[in-house]
Amino acid sequence: MTPHSRFLYRTMQLIRVTEEQLARCHARGLIHGACHTYVGEEAIATGVCAHLTKEDAVFSTHRGHGHALAKGMPPFELIAELFGRKAGCSRGRGGSMHLFSPEIGMMGTSGIVAPCILQAAGAGYSAMLRKTKQVGVAFFGDGAVNNGAFHEGLNMASIWKLPTLFVCENNQFATEVPFQYAAGNPDVASRAASYGMPGIQVDGNDVAAVSQAAEEAIVRARSGGGPTLIECKTYRTRPHAEGMGDYTYRTREDVAAWRERCPIKRYRAALLAAGEATEAELNAIDAEIQAEVARATAEAEKAAWPDAADATAHVYAPARSVGPAAVPDESRPPISYAAATLEALDREMADNPNIFVFGEGIGVRGGNFATTAGLFSKYGPERLRDTPISERGFVGIACGAAMTGTRPIVDFMFIDFINDSFGEIINQIAKMQYMSSGRLKMPLLMRGCVGIGHSAATHHSGSYHSIYSHIPGLRVVMPSTPYDAKGLFLHALRSDDPVLFLEHRELMSTKGIVPAEPYEIEFGKARVTRTGKDVTVVALALMLHRVQTAAEQLEGEGISVEIVDPRTVSPLDTGTILRSLQKTGRLLIVDEAFGPCGIAAEIAAHAADAGFNDLDAPIKRLNGAFAPTPYSPTLEAAVTPPVEAITAAIRDLVNE
Amino acid sequence: MPIAITVPRLGWSMEEGTFSAWLKQHGESVEPGEMLFAIESDKVTMDVEALDGGVLYVPADAPQPGERVVPGQLLGYLLAAGEAAPDGRVAVTPRARRVARELDVDLKSLQGTGKGGRIRERDVRGAAPKKPQQPVAQPLRRTIAARMMRSTQNTAPVTLMRRVDATSMAAMREQDKQISYTAIMVKLAAQALEQHPLLASRWEDDSIVAPSGTHIGIAVDTEHGLIVPVIRDADQLSITQIAARLRQLVQAAHARQLKPEDVDGGVFTITNLGAYGVEAFTPILNYPETAVLGMGAVQWEPVALGNGHLVTRQQITLSLTFDHRVLDGAPAARFLQTLAEVMTTALRSGPHA
Ligand SMILES: Cc1ncc(C[n+]2csc(CCOP(=O)(O)OP(=O)(O)O)c2C)c(N)n1
Ligand SMILES: [Mg+2]
Repeated sequence: MTPHSRFLYRTMQLIRVTEEQLARCHARGLIHGACHTYVGEEAIATGVCAHLTKEDAVFSTHRGHGHALAKGMPPFELIAELFGRKAGCSRGRGGSMHLFSPEIGMMGTSGIVAPCILQAAGAGYSAMLRKTKQVGVAFFGDGAVNNGAFHEGLNMASIWKLPTLFVCENNQFATEVPFQYAAGNPDVASRAASYGMPGIQVDGNDVAAVSQAAEEAIVRARSGGGPTLIECKTYRTRPHAEGMGDYTYRTREDVAAWRERCPIKRYRAALLAAGEATEAELNAIDAEIQAEVARATAEAEKAAWPDAADATAHVYAPARSVGPAAVPDESRPPISYAAATLEALDREMADNPNIFVFGEGIGVRGGNFATTAGLFSKYGPERLRDTPISERGFVGIACGAAMTGTRPIVDFMFIDFINDSFGEIINQIAKMQYMSSGRLKMPLLMRGCVGIGHSAATHHSGSYHSIYSHIPGLRVVMPSTPYDAKGLFLHALRSDDPVLFLEHRELMSTKGIVPAEPYEIEFGKARVTRTGKDVTVVALALMLHRVQTAAEQLEGEGISVEIVDPRTVSPLDTGTILRSLQKTGRLLIVDEAFGPCGIAAEIAAHAADAGFNDLDAPIKRLNGAFAPTPYSPTLEAAVTPPVEAITAAIRDLVNE
Repeated sequence: MPIAITVPRLGWSMEEGTFSAWLKQHGESVEPGEMLFAIESDKVTMDVEALDGGVLYVPADAPQPGERVVPGQLLGYLLAAGEAAPDGRVAVTPRARRVARELDVDLKSLQGTGKGGRIRERDVRGAAPKKPQQPVAQPLRRTIAARMMRSTQNTAPVTLMRRVDATSMAAMREQDKQISYTAIMVKLAAQALEQHPLLASRWEDDSIVAPSGTHIGIAVDTEHGLIVPVIRDADQLSITQIAARLRQLVQAAHARQLKPEDVDGGVFTITNLGAYGVEAFTPILNYPETAVLGMGAVQWEPVALGNGHLVTRQQITLSLTFDHRVLDGAPAARFLQTLAEVMTTALRSGPHA
């Protein structure tokens, strides 16, 4: 037996025995959540992984046990994970659908259908940029090919010739919905032509055929030939998930017929027929695997539970300390808010070759808001990458890239656009560090404009910072001055957490004194921009500037206003706000965004709780109108709080 | 002014009706002419319209829908914007409450300047007495203050006074100036306590706890304040020994060098103000002890004998404060009686006994 055929036989058998063992354990109640087995489809993971090293990055789905085992995960780690134990591959954070072992290039499985396609392309992007010859591989079902991620991911992988393999495991059903029904073109391989890449269909129950197709595709990818789509026709012979009924959408006869086409049985027969292996040799492998899986199960049953105190560990990367803040150099001419971040970006890109930028028009053109002006000629097209209009797609690719050693920046222009990738951000990007118990980093910076002005109307004016700050794992930054913008941007560029860097459209060309040298401003450190004693006003971005004007006007009336700029919405520096409230006894929060469930409500809740005994008046909020942004200047002006409304609110509060 | 909303008389014969429902909500603003509430008499159900406008205020104890009401009964109020509710509830900001607590200001006495009469921090500060900042007392002074309060708040003290003959005592002291009246009294009290152990016991959780030994405390006046060192097992010491120990303790007290074991464990205390000419006083119990004995000045006095003669004798007034929870007046008086006896009998055996 060659080592290769031994690997194929052994791996398929290991998957089968482990899956059957897991099915038994599920019935015994040892598995606390879902359990999707791979029985019948073993040839695919095995044939593909036979050509991968542990440096290659595999991304998979809810049906990922086989991929993990084929990539080299010991069965004990898989079983212990499903048992919810600390020694599990995801330390008990994931279960069947979230298997992480980045140490062996098992970059994660996901309970969401299709993002793995984008993440594998992202791994390909990292490999291309870093010239490592690695490949990214996505395993996904027929259910994923009708999802937008498939379209966007394959298209971008193709135009950028990413070293990526897209392996569709077409088992003909998505849960109980037949692919024949769900697909306008049920020939998956043929879809590759739409994206300009090779599409190959193989018998997914023939491990040799899968292996051969995969080998060709991987060699092509490693040598710069770009991605391949391989459609593996197969069938799962157990229910969609353990414990689910199976015969409402397919017949016993169909399942029985496919059991006969068992890939392991077939390969065993082929090995014997070709004289490559003897019965005794294969039986010895079978026995060895039975013993290994039995041992792994017994050990997993005895394994320790995770410590409940760790339930919230690894939401964020460990904090980094930063140097002292730079002193503004008054002799330097003021520069704009956009120029301030450009300075930081240019400097950091020169130092760190792993930084690259995705965006529409950020290449030669230098960005809609000149956020990358002049960088294309310095750093080239791979690092200043103009993208198709595929927001979900390139955000998902950036996620995969950030997991595999590069530091992507997504320059999304307007936050309204990036809302198309909401699922990627909150399900994947925000959770990756946590789900991998801190073994993966997510150094991804997403930056672009927010805010009302310029008659941009409702699809170029959103302020969604509150929504994103609701999500653990994200940092949400909203600078109000060029000085803060540069310091916070640089901190984001050196942080291992995903950051949404939100730049108010109306502030992009405002100017201020900014030190030339690099400096960082830590997240979660508010700035008291004006000291006063009668009332505390908290505001961010454009509203901060309106509040400053209001405060200057009120000074003449003898009302002394203290202003706090949180600078970051998540983390939120409640300490500084509460200290100010302790002094003044009155709190107003001004936020351009909608009131319900917003950051103003959040701040008010903290004040009502921890600052209760300091309150000498009700907490007040001033928010934008609860309506989409209208176009006409008179209408537009009516939906954000003007300076007069702020002065009136402060006067009122002082008289409460 | 709040406008009261009352139950109207629906027809001449109505004596009682049923309040059906509010047609406006608490806090809602009401225009004159709008329907305000519904009421049911025996004959009819009627929606009643508001005669005035304002913000509807329904007190917490107002009639509930379905409750029987009589004409004229109060249902609620219409308030002007920002007007305080008339049911005596005063709004106070949390900060004002906190400051009132800190400055000991009674919120009920205040008129708020906030919206609707709400009391704010400034109202409280304005009402706080402007007392000059007093320096905080020395720690020992504060300890004494706390202990005295604890005693007066937790005991039922009664003081008995009795004039007794001190001639033998004075004679003993005359022989040896090193022996103080207090030292002699420690010995005498120890003997008397042997016969009246109740006075050395203490009240604890509804039971009487017997003394652990005859450990007698002596009130010592120092420049820092009152300190009460304890002479342990006084019943087993001679007067000379007691006097020597007392000198040591007094010295240590002045030097602030008493150790915890020098002041702990007392079961009975003696305090002597005689040196200042005080005759009688009402000592405060050294909590949790049950009795304290005050000594007055030893004075020459004429004493009328039964035969019509006058003689001069040395006399002292003993002031015994005891805790009436532990014992009654008669047993306490009997203790004084015993003490008076031993003052003449016991001293015959001399200072070394
Ligand atoms: C975005 C998303 N929608 C729905 C689901 C629920 N769901 C879980 S598995 C599944 C079927 C997936 O079918 P397929 O991709 O063909 O994989 P298979 O289960 O057949 O291996 C569905 C719909 C999900 N996990 N993610
Ligand atoms: Mg399927």
